Parts: sequence; structure tokens; C-alpha cells
Amino acid sequence: MKLAYYPGCSLKGTSFEYEVSLLKILEAMGIEVKEIPDWNCCGASAAHSINHNLAIALPARNLAIAEKDGFESVLAPCAACSNRLKNADYELKRDDILKKKITNSLEMPYDSEMSINNMLEFLIGVVGKEKIKSMVKKPLAGLKVASYYGCLLVRPPKVMQFDDPENPVTMDELVSLTGAEPVDYSYKTECCGAINSLSKPDVVMALTGKVLYDAKNHGADVVVVACPLCHSNLDVRQKEIERKYEEKIGLPILFITELLGLSFGINPKDLAIDGHMVAADRVLKKIEELSK
Amino acid sequence: MKTVLNEQNRRNFVAQVESMLHDKLSKCYQCGKCSAGCPVNFEMDYTPNQIIKMTELGMEDTVLNSKTIWLCVSCNTCSTRCPKGFEVTGIMDVLREIAERKGITSKTEKEVQMFHEVFLDNVKSHGRIFELELVGKYKLKTKHLFRDMFLAPKMLEKGKLKMHGETISNLNQIAKIFKDFE
Repeated sequence: MKLAYYPGCSLKGTSFEYEVSLLKILEAMGIEVKEIPDWNCCGASAAHSINHNLAIALPARNLAIAEKDGFESVLAPCAACSNRLKNADYELKRDDILKKKITNSLEMPYDSEMSINNMLEFLIGVVGKEKIKSMVKKPLAGLKVASYYGCLLVRPPKVMQFDDPENPVTMDELVSLTGAEPVDYSYKTECCGAINSLSKPDVVMALTGKVLYDAKNHGADVVVVACPLCHSNLDVRQKEIERKYEEKIGLPILFITELLGLSFGINPKDLAIDGHMVAADRVLKKIEELSK
Repeated sequence: MKTVLNEQNRRNFVAQVESMLHDKLSKCYQCGKCSAGCPVNFEMDYTPNQIIKMTELGMEDTVLNSKTIWLCVSCNTCSTRCPKGFEVTGIMDVLREIAERKGITSKTEKEVQMFHEVFLDNVKSHGRIFELELVGKYKLKTKHLFRDMFLAPKMLEKGKLKMHGETISNLNQIAKIFKDFE
């Protein structure tokens, strides 16, 4: 199967660790993906917030290029990108008039025949649990991991068609495959504040604080995510949240691809784990001790 | 609450919202489940179910100038839980878009609105987001030059802030998309 890769802007910037780690684990598993040539930004939350048609047209260009190049499936690791690509595909399927306007503007046809996968869907559905399990060389037994899904991977369910929107378990299943222990806590699908990080930092810190303190109170050593926006809000703003609520958190935030990479025995440096704002040293040390 | 003075204006507004939304406002029976689960309800001036009702009553100025439409982060919790399957998140997009087209600048939440505008300008210029430029222009526009600046040194050290952005080759196509749909 010809697999397209849509990195999106964050994976080329503030969340480069996500791209480094995902390419590394795909390479280790012998899975080849090709970047969609000349891809453009999906418009993220800004486009759909103020211009519906633009919010469909921008992702549609990427889908049309991928389809023209003969790809059968697209991997969009960023939760926001995968959400926007799926939304565009959904709207183009249900609104013929808009579809005509957009394909005319793009001067490219689009038949909606590709499957669009977020990172978790890709790992479970395309790669498969058996394959992942066979790659685990260094089980993370004893490590307590809280999976944080946020909003965009699972909602709205009629468009995302992925997992349970109130109690998703896919990421927890991947955590179990590494040998680590999934932590049950209350905030796994609560919003982190997403795009309002710069414009409403106080609101974002209130929301993110709830997620972090709840995960910590349930005994998590680390939180895993599959979204660059979630990662930024939980990782980059963590020190400020600690100052605001006067209580230490100290929870490293890893991408699910990094956790898998560690269990495959890949060197943390090659997974760009040193790129996070909250150092993961304590967790890496715990993994070393547990494996002895 | 202000009462509706002009039935024709009310109908026009409702028709505009419903056609953009692909949904019917009368589906909502005001149970309030959307507002109960909304993660940002504590900051809003009107709860999501109030926005739906006020839209149905034709209170155009009130909803288009509300804080609520800009505070909504489109997390979709409301739409997911709505027992009637109403597009609650969708109505926020529609009202923001109408406000934007009418040139209404939010008095209290203009920074959220500006962020969206600066973001789309960035996409228009490069086809992709150049984060450093996006943040710089946003700060100039909002005059919050120093907010979050303390994060910059460590982000630079960690390699999170790229000094150069990427521009796509077929920028003409992006220009055409913006020309056709902006």
C-alpha cells in the first residue's frame, strides 16, 4: 500500500520531536511513508473559526495532491491536521455544490477514496498490534503512563469515526503493548485550551492544570499524547502552571511515538526526547532501573 | 433580555445561520447539557444553550458581540453530548464567521480574533506556518510584546523555535484559494 505522510506545520517547528520519533519508529518497523509533495497548512482552528470554505479548501488541496499521486492512505500525526483533513473529506462528500467550487478553484479532481489516519489509527490499523508487540525489546514494566487524548482525535465522532469519544482506549492499548501500565484518570478527553494558548493563556493554564494534577494524583510517571498542540500546552506551559497553583508537577510529556521507541530499545536521543521543556531524565532513569 | 422588535430581521438572521450551519435551531430543547460540559463556560458571558436560543430569537447584535463565540475552543464536547445531535460547535463557527464578515471586532476577546486573522495571513504568505513570524506579528498587533517572552530562551535552546520558515513552491495556488474563498 502506498502511504502518504502529511506532517503539518507544528511537526516542522515547535513539535519537531514528534516527527523525529515517528520517522524513527517507522524506520525500525520497516514501514515507508512519503511526504505529500508541496503540502500546505490545513488552516487549523483559525480557518474554521472564521471562514468555513477556506477551512475545507486548504486541506482539500493536500488530499487532492495525494490522490493524484496515487496514495491510498494518508497519515496525519497531528491531531488537528487529521481532524481538518477528515472534516474536509466529510464536507466534500456531503456538499456537492461546495465540492464543485473547491475542485474548480484547485483545478484538481477529488474522489474521496483515500483513508485518512491519525497516529493512533495508523499504529493500530495500518501497522497492527502484532507487529508493534514483536518490536518491543525493552519492556517498560512498572512505568505508569497516563494517556491524554484531548479533543481532536475523537470528536466530533460522526466525522472522526475513531474510538469512543468519552472513553477512548486506543492509546492505552498501545501503552500496554510496551509493557507499561496505563493509568486510569478523569481528564483524558478534557480540552487543553488548544489554539487559545497565546491569546488566552490563563484559561489554557486552568484547563491544562486540571489534566496534569489529575494525572499526577493518579500516580502517573509520565503523560503520553498524540497531538502537538496538547504537547505544547502540557509541556511548554507546565512550569508556569506550577507557579500559578503553587504546587510542583514535574510530569514529562512524551509523544506516544517516543514511548514506543523507548520500548523498541531506541536511544532516547534518537527520539529527540531531550527536546522537551520538562526534562524526562527521571523517567528515563526509572526505565533503566526497571529493566535491570 | 431584549425582545425581538422586527420579525423579518429575525427570520433573515435565522435563515442565514441555518443555511451556513446545515442544521435547524428549533432542534434545541434547552436541556443545557452543552453548557454543563463546556470546559470554558466559566469565562463566558452567555452559555452555549443561551447563544442558541438568542440566535433563534433574532438577538443578532448580542450574539455577534458576545464573549462566548470567541472563547469557544471548538473542543466539540457539546456537539458530541447533545441528545438532539445539534451542531452546537458549528453554530459558534457560523456566528464568528458572520461577525468577521460584518467587520465586528470583539471588544473583550479581540486577541482571539486577531490570532485567527494573523494565522491565516501567515498561511497566505507562505502556504505554511512560520511560527516565529506568526508569534512576532501577533505580538505587534496586540501590543503584548513581553507576554510569554520568558519561554523563548529555553525554546530556542531546545530547538523548538526555527529561525527560518518554509514556503511552498506553488504559492499561486494558495493565492487562488484565498482569492476564491476569502
